[in-house]
Amino acid sequence: MDCHDCHQSCQPKRKKIAWKLFGFGSRKSVNNDFSHHAQTTIALVGSPNVGKSALFNLLTGTYVTVSNYPGTTVELVRGNAVIAGEKVTFLDTPGMYSLIPITEEERVARDLIMNEKVDLFIHVIDAKHLGRMLNLTWQLIETQLPVLLVVNMIDEALKLGIWVDENQLAYKLGIPVVTMEATQKVGLKKLIAKVADYVRSTPLSTTY
Amino acid sequence: MSARLLYPPPIENAIARIEPLLDTKNRISRRSLALLLLQKDPILRAQLQQEPYFPQIERIVVETQSCFVESLSLAIAQSRHQFTTAIEQDITIQPSKERTSKYEWLHQLTVNPVTGIPILLLVLYFGIYQFVGVFGGGTLVDGIEGFFESQINPVVNTIVAAIFPWQVIQDLLANDYGIITLGIRYAVAIVLPIVTTFFLMFSLLEDSGYLPRLSLLLDRLFKTIGLSGRSIIPLILGLGCGTMATLVTRTLESKRERIIATLLLALTIPCSAQLGVILGLLSQEPTALIVWASVMMAIFLGIGFFAGKIVPGNTSCFYMEIPPLRLPSLKAILTKTYVRLKWYFGEILPLFILASILIWAGKLIGVFDVIVRGLEPVMLWLGLPTEAAPTFLYGFFRRDYGAAGMFDLHSSGILTGQQLVVAAVTLTLFIPCIAQLQFMFKERGIKTTIAIASFVILFAFSLGYILNQVLTIMEVSF
Repeated sequence: MDCHDCHQSCQPKRKKIAWKLFGFGSRKSVNNDFSHHAQTTIALVGSPNVGKSALFNLLTGTYVTVSNYPGTTVELVRGNAVIAGEKVTFLDTPGMYSLIPITEEERVARDLIMNEKVDLFIHVIDAKHLGRMLNLTWQLIETQLPVLLVVNMIDEALKLGIWVDENQLAYKLGIPVVTMEATQKVGLKKLIAKVADYVRSTPLSTTY
Repeated sequence: MSARLLYPPPIENAIARIEPLLDTKNRISRRSLALLLLQKDPILRAQLQQEPYFPQIERIVVETQSCFVESLSLAIAQSRHQFTTAIEQDITIQPSKERTSKYEWLHQLTVNPVTGIPILLLVLYFGIYQFVGVFGGGTLVDGIEGFFESQINPVVNTIVAAIFPWQVIQDLLANDYGIITLGIRYAVAIVLPIVTTFFLMFSLLEDSGYLPRLSLLLDRLFKTIGLSGRSIIPLILGLGCGTMATLVTRTLESKRERIIATLLLALTIPCSAQLGVILGLLSQEPTALIVWASVMMAIFLGIGFFAGKIVPGNTSCFYMEIPPLRLPSLKAILTKTYVRLKWYFGEILPLFILASILIWAGKLIGVFDVIVRGLEPVMLWLGLPTEAAPTFLYGFFRRDYGAAGMFDLHSSGILTGQQLVVAAVTLTLFIPCIAQLQFMFKERGIKTTIAIASFVILFAFSLGYILNQVLTIMEVSF
């Protein structure tokens, strides 16, 4: 009964055993299998309900359930896209508030950051709560893994009178920043261009 | 030059001392790892427990802590907060005075108990009872089911009889328990309309942002049963499909909450097919519906209360992002409903067909009859006709399959009012379907699953018995 507390890399294997034991039924949209690596793996991370899944759907052309409440995505979801002529695998992750997880679903994203080979992390944040959410951005920067910041929901923020200076933010943090309104596809081209920069400049993994 | 975050000197000092101890092979920077250790991250500590340098790290953490009144985690969080707030002020233009959303009044209406409870009741009455129960489970099911019975089944029976001269094969595909006449009919005529209407309603509620506000509203009530308001979402989702909901219990904070929510999902929350059929059947007898609803409510609160007392651990505090209220887009709702339905049917159709085959094979070799005969005394004990036994057996394959079986029983006039109530209550409480068990096993582990499953079976039949006795003694007539 303690077994589910461990969401380490042993998870896919254990899951297969569980499926075998029971035999039927498989959920096709959810796939935790890490064995077939594409050339580049990019993970979308961030607090719950900032639009990671909406962005994932845009980038991969697939559909994962998107809702207006935190905690819609509870497992890693994988989807492919071709960017700059290369096959890129995107991972959609359950929301996380900080590197130190509280709930089980947050642990999934943390384990991904700590243990898996991911070439680029796209941190998605909500422009309306920029200050609070930059906290995790900074924790990610401290890990020295490659991070790209997406400031999402700029339209909603603008309606509340909040305006974000994209270039200045990129300069302060020292990482690429794209402002977006994912549901309206605003900023998508800019994001794909920035991702393409990463894809072209292989190897991606270590330098920062 | 980009900004740089420096923590208070004792912490920076500690980082500098921990870094050289750590392995350089890690994927993330040693500075990051050192900070995690200073925040007493339990996962990393467990990983490094065996390392020879671990005691030294422990000493550094304790020494550093002695320089602060507050906890190290808090000190680190404060530095980060100051740093990010400064950046935020530099790079954004904020409104001069806090501008509230124009939907703020609506938000207040939904979370204030005085107006929130009536709103909830309206949502339940129109959204669930009228739309899912009466429209989906009544009008639509009757229409499609009638069409199947009068148009499709006879044709299928004739065609199958014409192609296959053997009775055995005919029974596999058609007649009373055939794959097409029973399995597909249950899935398409009874389950499909109900599940579609439910998921449409649920998608509308979740995209509007109503559910988190409901969590906020019911937080206090849920505290008494050992859950936080957060768990309202998996529980409501359970009204759609308990299997999906069991997976979503992951979003709950403590193991204790996850266990209580899983138990409540397995025991008291009917899935949409069950709910639709039950609402559809019982809506003709208002007293029966009230008895069923109050018994389920009482059990939900009672079991939740006791589980809250028995399952070890503390009530977690409620913290949840409250997203803005949004006008949902029709396209998003339809897409989402479609995807959920696809998932759902991918799960159930094979099981429905499998169940038909198993029943066919079981009948052929006589096992089915043995089990049904074994269940018959239980049925009599509950005051139910022996014809209800197969329905309970179906219910184990899929809840919705069992519910659909109950629909059949009622339309053939076998169940009387009181029997209908007892059957409805027992079937709602009775064992979660195979798929839900499978997910319970995956999410909660084998021990918890067995404990919950055996409790549920015992409880369902005992309560059915008691309810039957009480109704008989009180001479309630429906």
